[in-house]
Amino acid sequence: MGLLDWRDDFSIGIPEVDHEHRLLIDLIGALHERLVEQQQGAGIGEFLGELHSQISAHFALEEKIMRSRRYAGYPDHKQDHERLLDEIRDIMDGYELHGRYDAGELGTALETWFGEHFRTHDARLHRLRGGSHA
Amino acid sequence: MERAFGARWNPFAQLGALGWFCFWLIAGTGVYLYIFFDTGVTAAYESVESLTHRQWWAGGIMRSLHRYASDAMMVLVLVHLFREFAHDRLRGVRWFAWVTGVALLPLIYACGVTGYWMVWDRLAQYVAQTTTEWLDALPLFAEPLARNFLDSGHLSGRFFTLMAYIHIFAPLALLLFMWVHIQRHSGARVNPERGLALGTLAMLMGLSVAWPALSQPAADLGRVPMELPLDWFYLAVYPLIDRYGGAAVWLGGAAVGTVLLLLPWLPPARRPPAAVVDLDNCNGCGRCFTDCPYGAIEMVPRTDRAPYSQQAQVDPDRCVSCGLCVGACPTATPFRRAKALKSGIELPGLRAAELRDQVVAMGGALATRPRILAFHCGHSAPLPPSDASFGVVHVPCIGMLPPSFVDFTLARGHADGALLAGCRSGECHFRLGDRYTEQRIAGERDPALRERVPRGRIGVSWRGMIDRRRRRADLSAFREALLREAPAAPARAGCRPAWSFVAQGGLYALLALTIGAFSCWPQYRQLARDEAVVKLSFSHAAQRVEPCAALTAAELARLPINMRVRTDCRRDRWPVTVNLMLDGRLLYLGTHRPAGLHDDGPSTIYRRFAVPVGPHVINVRIRDTGRSTGYDYEARRGVNLQPGQSFVIDFASSGNGFIFPVTKE
Repeated sequence: MGLLDWRDDFSIGIPEVDHEHRLLIDLIGALHERLVEQQQGAGIGEFLGELHSQISAHFALEEKIMRSRRYAGYPDHKQDHERLLDEIRDIMDGYELHGRYDAGELGTALETWFGEHFRTHDARLHRLRGGSHA
Repeated sequence: MERAFGARWNPFAQLGALGWFCFWLIAGTGVYLYIFFDTGVTAAYESVESLTHRQWWAGGIMRSLHRYASDAMMVLVLVHLFREFAHDRLRGVRWFAWVTGVALLPLIYACGVTGYWMVWDRLAQYVAQTTTEWLDALPLFAEPLARNFLDSGHLSGRFFTLMAYIHIFAPLALLLFMWVHIQRHSGARVNPERGLALGTLAMLMGLSVAWPALSQPAADLGRVPMELPLDWFYLAVYPLIDRYGGAAVWLGGAAVGTVLLLLPWLPPARRPPAAVVDLDNCNGCGRCFTDCPYGAIEMVPRTDRAPYSQQAQVDPDRCVSCGLCVGACPTATPFRRAKALKSGIELPGLRAAELRDQVVAMGGALATRPRILAFHCGHSAPLPPSDASFGVVHVPCIGMLPPSFVDFTLARGHADGALLAGCRSGECHFRLGDRYTEQRIAGERDPALRERVPRGRIGVSWRGMIDRRRRRADLSAFREALLREAPAAPARAGCRPAWSFVAQGGLYALLALTIGAFSCWPQYRQLARDEAVVKLSFSHAAQRVEPCAALTAAELARLPINMRVRTDCRRDRWPVTVNLMLDGRLLYLGTHRPAGLHDDGPSTIYRRFAVPVGPHVINVRIRDTGRSTGYDYEARRGVNLQPGQSFVIDFASSGNGFIFPVTKE
């Protein structure tokens, strides 16, 4: 059981986006487990960097899809993306600086963010997509 | 130039776009002029005159603009050509723009020459005569074109209709080629900055009003124009044609053209390997596709099993290995696990992992504060050597540097300041590297530099190859700013010092003066003051080598029924030998072969001789049979040649043989 589990209602119906969402949730879960098991294990910083990179790439893809579909909520959604990336970078810096990391902080941040993001923005994209399909 | 115009308006960075601007200006004024232009031997000149004088406030200015914009276009195009050459921007994938660009030159030239022709003043007369003589040096036309311009009797108004069509068709072809020329540049710039365009227009307008383009006196084919105000931008080769002959100039032109066309493949040629895509790290986000300045990346359907719809694909023939795609890739971040660091798109010559290693190694060697790590593009001004407080990481283009590397350098403490040192602003060797970098720092382009990265610890220095001094000054300024911990205020366009506007005006004036001056000065003297011209020109079919034989009835009977003609003629003719004497001195002796594959056409001759003025006796003879001595036609004429007179000797076997001008003695 990770921090966050994939739920079917996360699916927005675009296979590549859903695929990456699943990957990310898995990655976050793996990171969390690792942290819980060996609190100050080596390579955590780089693991965070890996996560950051994958989320960046994922957002880049999502943004491309939103632009190509002329999604009206694009600016807000994009801003939200930047905000999360920034928060992860802060956590990365915090870890580097203090050599330690608060599992609760990351968990909460990611969970809140992802939950919220899925619920609002991606869901809107989903609805838009459903609408255009009908 | 950049200091006078500011970075945004630097004309050197947008010469091509200025060329396009001139083209539209010429096209626009050309349409207006065409409305009032009449095609006819005298109507052409008169319509242009009336346009210039009676309508000086519109037509006259339009005409001058038309001319000066054409001159400006020639200047811009040549400087553009030279600069691209000097910056070695013609190799690899760039051969295409280079070769199509060189091909534009003769078209621009043809547009200019036909334009001067249409006015039909003395200059046009000279242009017509020399151009036709030039074309006649090519074995294209059975009869010399120059014969059209012997005297006004030979000239038809239809010729001007033809000229007008060529003068419209050539620019359309030019436009097509200009479009082809920019095909392989994504986001090619065809419009200059508005301020620069307005400035250029104002300069040309000012020149047109202050120094309007005027016609010479009307053309008179009976006289050689003596002093010609040549437009040296277009007509500079014409005196060479006079001097060395059309064939030599064709050969010279062909030689220069061939060298220009081959330049992209001449040594020293070196080409780093093209970018490669790593599918494990590519989810098809398309950022590299958007940012590639050469359209070398395509988004194609996925070729592996991954559930993505697209992937990036590099066309190695179009890739210049600038690395702007790496700078755009979201996976090219040094924060990743060092072992896994592989970007979705990579330069084999400098992989993201190597770049990261270099940053770490260089940063580790810095001891004295402020520690500066510079990212340096090899196409720009050099930096001083590394020392205890300064290290350099070389990149093919500053745009190759993903912004996360700047974040990494500063956030992980590898340096106190990051200096981005690239080509002169707007003149990136790979076209767009500086622009992308600025936009990424400003957060206007993906991937954007993280907002929280202190901008005061980032320095930019956009300096061309020769700007060593200012590059060092940039470095010192950056160092001082870091010491003071004050953000270095980068010199931005927009806050230009007042003197620069004066300098800009001065440069405009200088360019206008240059264009105005060389479009009609220095004058070219085709003929000495005390010389006249004797032209010997005719087209005459000599006698057949064998007379036609009458066939006997028996011979006829042997032939198929449809081939029974009473006479059998061999087609070939004798050559024509011409002998021209002036006052008993031989001026010309030549034998001219008949035209045609079977030597069955007329022999043609067109020769021009400069002779002193005064009374002369001209003796001209022709042999058009197989005789070995003596001539078949002969004429002797006394003439008193006036300065600049054009005395034409023609020949028509049907009439009285030689035809001389009607002399007014």
